[in-house]
Amino acid sequence: MERRDFLKALSACAAAAIAPEDAWSALNQPGLRYLRPPGALPEDDFLSACIHCGQCGEVCPNRCISYFGMENGLASVDTPYIIPRDKGCILCMKCGDVCPSGAIQKVERTAEAIVEGVSMGRARVDEQLCLSFQGKTCGVCYRACPLPDVAITVGMLEQPHVTDKCVGCGLCERSCIQLPQAIRVIPNYG
Amino acid sequence: MSRRSKPFFVWRHLNKLRWVTLTLVFLMLILLPLLHVYQTYVAARAYDLLPLSEKQLYDTMELITAPFVSDPASELDAIKGNTWSGTFWGFKLSDPLAVVGQIAAAQSIYWPFFLTALIPIAFTVIFGRFFCGWICPATFLYELNTNLGAWLHWAGLKTGNMHFDRRMKYGVLAAGLALSMLTGSVMVAAVYPPAILGREIYYAIALGGFGSGMIFFLGTLLFDLLVARRGFCRYVCPGGALYSLIGRYRVVRIRRIVESCNDCAKCNAVCEFGLDPLRDNFGQECNNCTACIAICPTDALDFTIRLTDYPYQGPGHLGRQYRGQKKKQGSTSATPCGQKAEAL
Repeated sequence: MERRDFLKALSACAAAAIAPEDAWSALNQPGLRYLRPPGALPEDDFLSACIHCGQCGEVCPNRCISYFGMENGLASVDTPYIIPRDKGCILCMKCGDVCPSGAIQKVERTAEAIVEGVSMGRARVDEQLCLSFQGKTCGVCYRACPLPDVAITVGMLEQPHVTDKCVGCGLCERSCIQLPQAIRVIPNYG
Repeated sequence: MSRRSKPFFVWRHLNKLRWVTLTLVFLMLILLPLLHVYQTYVAARAYDLLPLSEKQLYDTMELITAPFVSDPASELDAIKGNTWSGTFWGFKLSDPLAVVGQIAAAQSIYWPFFLTALIPIAFTVIFGRFFCGWICPATFLYELNTNLGAWLHWAGLKTGNMHFDRRMKYGVLAAGLALSMLTGSVMVAAVYPPAILGREIYYAIALGGFGSGMIFFLGTLLFDLLVARRGFCRYVCPGGALYSLIGRYRVVRIRRIVESCNDCAKCNAVCEFGLDPLRDNFGQECNNCTACIAICPTDALDFTIRLTDYPYQGPGHLGRQYRGQKKKQGSTSATPCGQKAEAL
């Protein structure tokens, strides 16, 4: 019996290894919520423009940019991504400067240009989890936001309200003291 | 010693220069990720929080860069990237294959990116496939791998020396571009060793481990060792194929000086790409690596400015075959058929 189970598992692994791209992403999609670097083109254009040179990661002072293996499908191999809960983007905009291929567009490092040109996603508050909405004044996400009062405002008890100017850098999600996080960035893949 | 009294022949020493550039490029690929890690420590002002090994890295990088920069976090951004695409003080250079791959994947041309490949393309038009011999970080490892193969062979182990059709790599290039077009992603980057190495060294140093590309690269090393000497570059590499096409009518090429050649065939033996310098047959594959020039005992190879190779010039004038012909011709005063003997 044990051997049979082993063989079953083995064949499942083999099937997964040779399965086409969609199966790969389907297999791994739950939980895979990633952002592209700031200024990135919409997902399809980004994939066709990115030449996988790795310079965006090499210039990132926060080292928030990592690179996909096979977990997001064949087309995404070696493309950059950010997992905001691990490390948010500090919007230094260096990756857009260094990107040669136009996959990450150059955006000037001013609040107006960033609000205009960056749309990595939009933060969303889960009011069931958020401490401030549960009567315990927190406000950590507001203080972590690089665009306070523009992208996020606070009301009573520091209850956060995300505006439509949020660019999705993920620093709020990174800083949220709740576990699981009460504020998370919903990626915008364009 | 007649050897010592020979005049200085500058081209002989280019091969040493080539090894210097290959080594420098490879060391840069290791140094740049280390500098990047150092920069992130500086940017985070985290020195006191670092564990000992990272402190050592910090100190070493500080020692190296301190004479040149005052603000490492920003000034070290001047040089980034790898041979696939790099940035030098804001000036960007890219591999032509990256541009062609992007054009295939996006099915449109992004001009600012296209322009970054113009200088490499111009150099390739003049010097042919020089990237493969002089810059490519994979070449550095592949040539060491060839030497390893020679040692293994010397030790009595079997190494591969199969030959395939050299045109295979053009098929790989076409297939890679077609795949890029189909998937809408620059897939050629996944099978192009210099791009893989540039990325993987960065992954290993800054992101904590090699990715899947390294497996592919190790596979190519084994292929070279066990199946065909330098086989990946000769028969498979899509970038090499593109460079060969661009450099087909290269202006600067190696030629054989038939008067000094003694037919020893060392050039053919040493040629990493399996070309035939002995019969003037360099073709579009020659990467001007100058290994044949360096090994030639009679200095019978040097550079020339020509758009095509010389047609076969006949056996070398210092060789036995030519002297035999000459003797025969002198006694019978007849031209040996099929040979260019009118040069007598």
